[in-house]
Amino acid sequence: MTRIFGRYGFAIAILVVLLIANLVMNPARFAPGNWGTLLGLAAPLIGAALASTPVILAGRGGIDISVGPVMGLVSAVVIKVLYLDAGLASPFILWPAALLVGAAIGAFNGFMATVVRVQPIVATLGTYLILGGLTLTILPAPIGPAPDWLKAMAGAWSFLPLGIIAALWWALCRTPFHGQLMAVGSDDRAAYTAGVPVTLTRFLAYVLTGVLAGAAGMMLTALIGSADPKVGANYTLIAIAAVALGGVSLAGGRGGLLGAAIGAVDIFLLQSLLTAFNVSTYVLQVAYGTILVAAVVLIALQDRSAKRSHA
Amino acid sequence: MPDLSMRIRDLTLRPGAAAVSTQISGGEIVGLAGLDGHGQDVFLRSLAGLERNQAAVDLQGNSIASFRDAEKNAVVYVPRDRRSTGIFPGLSILDNFAIATPGRDRRGLLISAKARRARYEDWKERLQIKAPSPDAPITALSGGNQQKVLLARALARDPKVLLLNDPTRGVDVATRLVLYDLFRDLAAQGMALVILSSEIEEILVLCNRVLVFRDHALAAEISGAAMRTDTVIAAMFGRQA
Amino acid sequence: MTLTSALQLDSIKARVIGAFAVAVVLHGAGTALIPGYSAPFAIRAMLVIASLLAVASIGQTLVVILGGIDLSIPFVIGFANVVAAQLYGQGWHFALVCVVVFGLAALIGAFNGALSRGLNLHPLIVTLGVGMIVQGLVLIWTKGFPSGSAPKAVSAFVSIGGSFGPLPVPALIPALLILTVLIVLVLERTPYGRRLYALGSNPGAAPYALINPLRIWTATFAASSVFAAMAGILLLGFTGSAYGDVGQPYLFQTIAAVVVGGTALVGGRGSFIGTIAGVLVLTEINTLLIGLNFSPAAVQSAFGAIILLLVSLYGRERHFRSTV
Repeated sequence: MTRIFGRYGFAIAILVVLLIANLVMNPARFAPGNWGTLLGLAAPLIGAALASTPVILAGRGGIDISVGPVMGLVSAVVIKVLYLDAGLASPFILWPAALLVGAAIGAFNGFMATVVRVQPIVATLGTYLILGGLTLTILPAPIGPAPDWLKAMAGAWSFLPLGIIAALWWALCRTPFHGQLMAVGSDDRAAYTAGVPVTLTRFLAYVLTGVLAGAAGMMLTALIGSADPKVGANYTLIAIAAVALGGVSLAGGRGGLLGAAIGAVDIFLLQSLLTAFNVSTYVLQVAYGTILVAAVVLIALQDRSAKRSHA
Repeated sequence: MPDLSMRIRDLTLRPGAAAVSTQISGGEIVGLAGLDGHGQDVFLRSLAGLERNQAAVDLQGNSIASFRDAEKNAVVYVPRDRRSTGIFPGLSILDNFAIATPGRDRRGLLISAKARRARYEDWKERLQIKAPSPDAPITALSGGNQQKVLLARALARDPKVLLLNDPTRGVDVATRLVLYDLFRDLAAQGMALVILSSEIEEILVLCNRVLVFRDHALAAEISGAAMRTDTVIAAMFGRQA
Repeated sequence: MTLTSALQLDSIKARVIGAFAVAVVLHGAGTALIPGYSAPFAIRAMLVIASLLAVASIGQTLVVILGGIDLSIPFVIGFANVVAAQLYGQGWHFALVCVVVFGLAALIGAFNGALSRGLNLHPLIVTLGVGMIVQGLVLIWTKGFPSGSAPKAVSAFVSIGGSFGPLPVPALIPALLILTVLIVLVLERTPYGRRLYALGSNPGAAPYALINPLRIWTATFAASSVFAAMAGILLLGFTGSAYGDVGQPYLFQTIAAVVVGGTALVGGRGSFIGTIAGVLVLTEINTLLIGLNFSPAAVQSAFGAIILLLVSLYGRERHFRSTV
């Protein structure tokens, strides 16, 4: 517990402070009856942050900047192609389709980054541009509506997708894969010598990121109740910021989905609080940047003092 | 010129360990021996100002408390791990040689390729570096020749005290003999050399004196006829010979 | 061993030559497929657009050789663009405007570099965070509506229709050529340049070779921001009015130009000539696709696909096993 708190300490501290401030400033919005809606509002960012995490954990410059565009594409495919054009409305078709699109793109990114060995940021930048164009081709302008069950996932049922992801990640942490992922992320050469399938593990991390990005795309679709080709890409950088805020090391091998989620909630609460103050989005932007830099600085100082007290 | 002397007074290598005091003079080759991790590495790094040394080290009265002090006083340290702390793998042999002393080749604002080349050729001759072309990457050289380039980099700084951390590790026998001759030459010219070696034979062949470390303290200081394999090993294991 | 290493050095030159060859081939294809592709005006337009990208990419090249990355470039471009217009509009002398803008940019960059190196933070996060702060502050200052414009001299300096003495190109083009020579000299022939490569190639060995990592990171990121600011001011002359998001396309384009030009993101390798080749390739691709009447969406997709293709061909990293 102390270990978890140590890594996420700053993110949790901000979380508590922001939560209290929000409760005081805006009790109506934060009343228990509204929690579903609130979570639905935060869900796309949380989902994007979760999606960004596995590849970062896998180390050696691992990063996926195509997470945002994947969300946009999933939204376009599910609403425009499957729901409106093909008339498929069942969650048991649309959800698997969304995850499959994500997995396929993740597999492509993974192939480029681990087999062809293009630097991850460049490989996923290529994907970013391809997907952005593809989404605009499928869906030149926003279109709607989304099926009612999906819109409900931004309201009362918003905990469902996030809860399932949490449960699955919890289970995954109890398989050898998690240990291998962290080993590869902290020292791939040592992991390789110890017999860990390094390339496969990294590849799977990209697939996992893709699947989670697919889920995040569904949450985004649920929230806006339609498909918009332009909003997805905005999530990429802010999601990576959330991940760093949540104590996940960009060097790999340290942190987890919980931290990323806390980081994302922090950003959401900050947004919510400043909106309650009626502050302009410009100030919001400065606040994001400041919190992000302050967080990584404090985490680094904490790591440093921890190291010193051990030595 | 007054005789060169580096003094070490009451240097503790680890909290609680007995303090080390000794003196190293110009013209001397001092060996450091001990089982791995018994303090000889910390001692050598302390002389280079790379470890906190409680201001216990001075050269001609000038304190060597930091790496910068060492740099100012021409105390030059050559690290052990060539690959992680020695060579710059993407760079040429010339770059690897000149990188610590780029100012010497500057004519006006720019580095003169000719001056740099001439400086390198001198050392190449002296150290018998076997290299295809000075513009080839450093990784094209054998381990022994890489080590010679690194020594040339260090020697280009005109050291008064040269601190060598296991300089013949992974180096072939022929190269070792070249290096031994070089070290003796340097000492004869008045330089003080401190050589940490994991091979006792090497210390016996090369050094005038050996400091044997055990439990982060100086277990024995042996010189002259008493410097034999059995005495050094006995000191390393904490036994009387 | 000897052979593979020799090939390694040569492969960097091969990449740069390859990138130039790709640019030439693309230009040939454009000339064959699109009427007027090689018309003087079209070439001038391409040169100006490429030069602006080249200026913005100088900093990214330096920072990537160091083994870092600078995501604050687009934000600093926007900052310089807006602040320069605003101050000039308030009646400041333009030389003073430049001093203030470059000075502030240098401070922003120095902060990025010092913080990243000093605390061992990933520069991606630091530069992103600092970039967001800078952009937010500019927006607050201008209340989102920047005003002012560029002095006529700057507009003429970058104008596609401009000329420089007898040359049928604006002064920007010869200026960039001179700047390129200077950058190459600094990288190849000064202690700073050699230390930059050394530090990028093996940070662990640098301190023993009397290289001060903190100083080099601070100076290099400061330089990166100054060149970004320069691009921002030039863009002000190019578009005529201030726009805070003018730098956004440069976020990924500078990285793409550096990588297509054969500079590896792992540090210690690369050259600005390579980046120039990368800039030409990117500009040709863009012009070609637009000339072929692709929709903007299709242009973007094709752009991404071609970057991936090029980098797969010659931008591959070594297998991690070969570093064991």
